[in-house]
Amino acid sequence: MDKAFEIQKQVRDNVKTLETYLTDLQNWEAEMKRKEAALNGEFEQDLPPVRSKIKRDKPVVVSKKPEKRISSSDYQSWEKFDVDKACEEIDMAEVGPVSLDSKKSQAAKQEKLREEAQYEKERGNAFVRQDKLDEAISCYSRAIELVKDDAIYFANRGLCYLKKDSLHQAETDCSEAIRLDPTYVKAFQRRATARERLGSLRAASQDLNEVLKLEPHNLAAKRQLETIKIRMGTKGLKSKCSPSSTPTIENNPMIKPKPKLQPKIIELPDEPAKTELSPLDKWREGIGERITVITPVNKPPHLRSKRPLKSIAIQEIPLSELSPKRPATRMKIIEIENNLERGDTNNNDSNKTGDAEMVDNKGKGDSSPESVKLITDIRVNEKRDCVKNMTPPLTSVQFMAEWKYLKGNDAARSDYLSVIDPSKIPTIFENALESDVLSDVLRILHQYTDKFKEKTVSAYLRGLCTVKRFSALAMFLSSSDKQVLTNLLQHCKTAENASDDEIQDLKNKYEI
Amino acid sequence: MEDLETPQIITHIENNLNHSLFDCKWVPCSAKFVVIGSLPKGSGTIELFEINSGEAKKIKEIERPNSFKCGTFGASNDVERKLATGDFKGTLEIWDLEKSCQVYITKEHTDIINSIDGMGGNTMNCGAPEIVTGSRDGTVKVWDPRQRGKPVANMQPMKGETKRDCWTVAFGNSFSDTERIVMAGYDNGDLKMFDLRTMSLRWECNLKNGVCSVEFDRKDIPMNKIVATTLEGKFHVFDVRTQNPRKGFAQVLDNSSKSGTIWVARHLPQNRDLFVTCAGNGQVSLWKYQYPEQRVRTDDKGVASGVPGKLQRLQRMVISSQPINALDWNRDHTGLAIATAYDQCIRVLITTKLNLH
Repeated sequence: MDKAFEIQKQVRDNVKTLETYLTDLQNWEAEMKRKEAALNGEFEQDLPPVRSKIKRDKPVVVSKKPEKRISSSDYQSWEKFDVDKACEEIDMAEVGPVSLDSKKSQAAKQEKLREEAQYEKERGNAFVRQDKLDEAISCYSRAIELVKDDAIYFANRGLCYLKKDSLHQAETDCSEAIRLDPTYVKAFQRRATARERLGSLRAASQDLNEVLKLEPHNLAAKRQLETIKIRMGTKGLKSKCSPSSTPTIENNPMIKPKPKLQPKIIELPDEPAKTELSPLDKWREGIGERITVITPVNKPPHLRSKRPLKSIAIQEIPLSELSPKRPATRMKIIEIENNLERGDTNNNDSNKTGDAEMVDNKGKGDSSPESVKLITDIRVNEKRDCVKNMTPPLTSVQFMAEWKYLKGNDAARSDYLSVIDPSKIPTIFENALESDVLSDVLRILHQYTDKFKEKTVSAYLRGLCTVKRFSALAMFLSSSDKQVLTNLLQHCKTAENASDDEIQDLKNKYEI
Repeated sequence: MEDLETPQIITHIENNLNHSLFDCKWVPCSAKFVVIGSLPKGSGTIELFEINSGEAKKIKEIERPNSFKCGTFGASNDVERKLATGDFKGTLEIWDLEKSCQVYITKEHTDIINSIDGMGGNTMNCGAPEIVTGSRDGTVKVWDPRQRGKPVANMQPMKGETKRDCWTVAFGNSFSDTERIVMAGYDNGDLKMFDLRTMSLRWECNLKNGVCSVEFDRKDIPMNKIVATTLEGKFHVFDVRTQNPRKGFAQVLDNSSKSGTIWVARHLPQNRDLFVTCAGNGQVSLWKYQYPEQRVRTDDKGVASGVPGKLQRLQRMVISSQPINALDWNRDHTGLAIATAYDQCIRVLITTKLNLH
């Protein structure tokens, strides 16, 4: 009975709740409709950006489901499986995609910076051309800020400072450029100029020697070196008479500080007064040597104060004092030794001594200009020497410079030719081959055929005729040239076993 | 007297339509709903119904050459209320129902889009509006309606791997502008959790049977629970608050009902611990997840792992002779739901006394 009542109650209850629910529902329907009608209008929302836009440089690859093993029976997949790639991926995973990514982006950034710096440099160059040095300097400085390891920007700024007579800044800039690129000839030259004008003649001459090492035929550098040597010579003489203590044999810069130190040590006990004048100490140290000659100075400071005006000249003395005992000739030797140094390393010892002798001869020859023949001989030797050390040119300009330099020395020229890879000829000359050079080349090929055994004359001939606009050059070949050519072709045929087709082809090309 | 608190599930309105139905969704902030299906001739329909004093009245119909499979309002705000649909050919479309025209169309999937979910349309500070689609072509793609043509994320099997049919997708964990997680269930029983913030796979497991439906209890909170339903009448509830690096998530499995495939599980918007499952025998079951006393346990090494709770069935009711393939709770009225079934009927269901649980 109780149970039945309970069930009845529950059913009634349920019906009741349902009824209320349904009336609720009806009310809700009406309300919803009203609400919906009021809903028109703008709905402004502050939405976060599209995912792909934010995630652009997220490292993780999106389109990958986690790695699944390829089941051993899935042969098709295994066939497609790239083992190398998988190994690479594992290796990469160790590095981590993040670092890889950042590296990449860093490289891109660097590239961008470089571009910007290049742009600044161009602007700077334009300013230099307009003689607006300050603007140019600021441009280069910006370029340097962007890219700190490019020697060109430093060297260019150095030039600007040089032009502005800011010699110290010029020197430091050039030094920086040299540090970055130890083969940067212009930087050496600029530093030499700066140092020369600063009075550091020895340093300047070292720089110029460096230049000549890199570019043996740099006339400007040679001339500058001459003038510096002359200046050094005079200075040296001047200084020689003053300090008796300076050892005469000393050319070695290593010993340079010693004479400086000695007087200092002596001076200190001699002059206790010096300690009182601490601000002037430096000055005195700088001019120590001169003081030893002129003084036991006990002058009151105000009397001495006039002298420092000349102290700049005095600072140079230690340098010039080191200048050679045998001024000019000795320097020559250094220069040529440099030449030797530049030479290839397989020069054996005996060769070297021989060269050194020649060099000595040369030095003498220079000093006694009447023996012209000797000089020319030596020059020829020197040239030959140079040729041995010659590297094949990369451009027609380099080639022409060397070619002109070797004028009158056909043997050397032939050597020079022989270092050139015949297949490179078209790229070297581009379209700058001239008819007189061509005929010279042909003549030398003909004259020294045996030097071209290795690379074969025919290869050279082929190389030459592939130079741009060769057909035009061929038209202007003189009859003698053609005679030379026919001889050469004959040589090709007999000595080098060139095929008939090849010969015929060359004949056509050279219009014989 | 706990019987007095037992909810009742009542079919309020039953409407027979003469074609297959695949999905149904309430139009937000209204007493209207859309039904997505296909006509016998193979064309797709979107029908808009309105509840009017105990009757569902059709007020609009859109017909398209390709059958629609699924739809969502999740990526749209409550004013525009744009419906995103996926169809049998793999096309994703977004509809302006007022004007009956598409505002977005893209066909990046090569096969049927089985499942769609949307997020971020109307809740503030829970991320960009995004749509996720899962397709038979094996891929899961995430879309932003503001970016045309291309998905913003694409989860696909590696080359050489067999492509599994993706049956279900769901958003969740979207409690900030950056955090968001996509769950995807596959026909081979794989259940995968993709983290969209880090664009990586956060977790995966295999449920042995094909995963028919997966849903977070809430989308816009730090992820709390997932229900994943499978073939063979089983469903899993995962406590996803605590992920153990070794064991993953704590889960509770229910295979008590021999009701065939569980097609869909849907959490009550008003109470996240209640959810309903719709089975292949036309039965809807209302479940309550009971949390354990302690949700987290730390082992001797100090590593936290979750503790599974218990499932309590509150009610069950067979409402259809055929499988119920879709169900949607009304956001604004507790206990109101629509369901579509393969008997070509659309039903408005009322569940009472839900507020007592």
